Amino acid sequence: MKNWIQAFSVIDFISVGILLTAVSMNALKRLESCVKVYTLNSWLLASLIAIVSFMIGEAHLYVAAALTLTTKGVLLPVFLKRIVRQMKVTRDDEPYINNALSLTISGVLVAVVYVSLGEGIFVSGFSRNVLQISIAVIVIGLFTMITRRKAITQVIGLLFMENGLFLAGFSLTFGMPLIIELGVLFDMLMGVIILGIFVVQIKRSFLSTDLDKLTTLRG
Amino acid sequence: MEYLQFIVIIIFSPLIQGIIKKVKAAMQGRVGPGVFQPYYDLVRLLKKEMVISGVTSWVFRATPFIVFASTVAAAMIIPVITTRSPFSAMGDVIALIYIFALGRFFMALAGLDAGTAFGGEGSSREMAVAMLVEPMMMLSIFTAAIAAGSTNIAVIAEKQDIFYSPSHVLALSAFIVAVVAETGRIPVDNPDTHLELTMIHEGMLLEYSGRYLALMEWAHFMKQMLLFTLAVDIFFPLGIPAATGLPGLAASFGIYSLKMVLMAVLMAAIESSRAKLRFFQLPSLLGGAFVLALLSLLTYIMMGK
Repeated sequence: MKNWIQAFSVIDFISVGILLTAVSMNALKRLESCVKVYTLNSWLLASLIAIVSFMIGEAHLYVAAALTLTTKGVLLPVFLKRIVRQMKVTRDDEPYINNALSLTISGVLVAVVYVSLGEGIFVSGFSRNVLQISIAVIVIGLFTMITRRKAITQVIGLLFMENGLFLAGFSLTFGMPLIIELGVLFDMLMGVIILGIFVVQIKRSFLSTDLDKLTTLRG
Repeated sequence: MEYLQFIVIIIFSPLIQGIIKKVKAAMQGRVGPGVFQPYYDLVRLLKKEMVISGVTSWVFRATPFIVFASTVAAAMIIPVITTRSPFSAMGDVIALIYIFALGRFFMALAGLDAGTAFGGEGSSREMAVAMLVEPMMMLSIFTAAIAAGSTNIAVIAEKQDIFYSPSHVLALSAFIVAVVAETGRIPVDNPDTHLELTMIHEGMLLEYSGRYLALMEWAHFMKQMLLFTLAVDIFFPLGIPAATGLPGLAASFGIYSLKMVLMAVLMAAIESSRAKLRFFQLPSLLGGAFVLALLSLLTYIMMGK
């Protein structure tokens, strides 16, 4: 089994898949597909953690994988989907930068990250590739937050950044202590729920989730 | 013997077209024309009288020959069933792409030459698509070229030993999109219709008839088969390398025809499962494929495989 994982470079495929899902977020207009891509990203992240823990034989990492799967792979997507349905907004039609261009820019961002990290200081087989990919995911998440107008897509960009950070931490330390991970996940869950409530409130008082409208004060 | 491998492309390219049409018909629940129908069409067109518009210049009359000859030249430098071809010294992949570009340039000129609205429309669209497809094709080929350390197609085919790595899969998927766009198949262009305002490739050929049309169609079939061959050479060269002597060539030809049929089935599957995109949505598709190719190159450079 371990030989198979190595022979078919499963870890490389999954980490590239994580990068691809983050990049493809820039091409999507329908909010539901954005949520779907985020779900896929989280599942890939969880499976990467599970496979690495299988490879190095650390039992506590399975718990981290399971936690990731339940919170980021199931709970958050279900919650996000409910918000999307509640808002009756299905598309983020006018991002600040159009989709084809923002795809290309995110490709360039990946190149910049790879070049600037270069060989890196953390040259140890597993972590080198995954660290670069995770930082690329963080940068792309940030880029998504900058280019999108709708509150929901910005939240998803934030979640992508969080996934990237999680992956970066994981690639450097093979998992933080369980209590910290639990805390981070709980924090994020609460954060997203609060953001979700905010989004609904914004929609109710401005009749739009377009964040540009927030520049006019109402008191 | 090895000199003559490009004959395979010339002879069998209409058959590939026929197979694609047959498989597509089967997938859509129709009987469809027989696999040899493109041959009958070509023969019929070759027998027919030509009608040439009086306002056309020499460009219109020279184009079918230039397009056909450039496609045959491209067929000569590509390794079809063996990499040990005397012509393969010239088989540079960048040269190949520009030989295709020469044919396309004259085809676009001929489309403009007759002065019809459809011709000009087809030409401008073809050039717009080409502008997006060429860099993407280059990038996805460069991933394989860097791995082999050469842009010579024969060397790439001989040295290619990684069949299963992320960069390879990404480059292959980008290349498939490039092939779909270059052969004018469904998400990009509809090959079956002359009636819609959406046509790209057919728009340029609208003024041609008789022998010239046969040459243009045949060149298009050949280009399609060449692109399939290029995909196979670069990404799945299993079975091609260094096959010499009659038994070796025969075995290689068997494997090659199997791969071609698989490519034809893949194209038919893509065509049957996708809807045609609006022209202004194409930059999204092709831009996405461009990013795939870029990521494949970056991944190769980062991971080293």
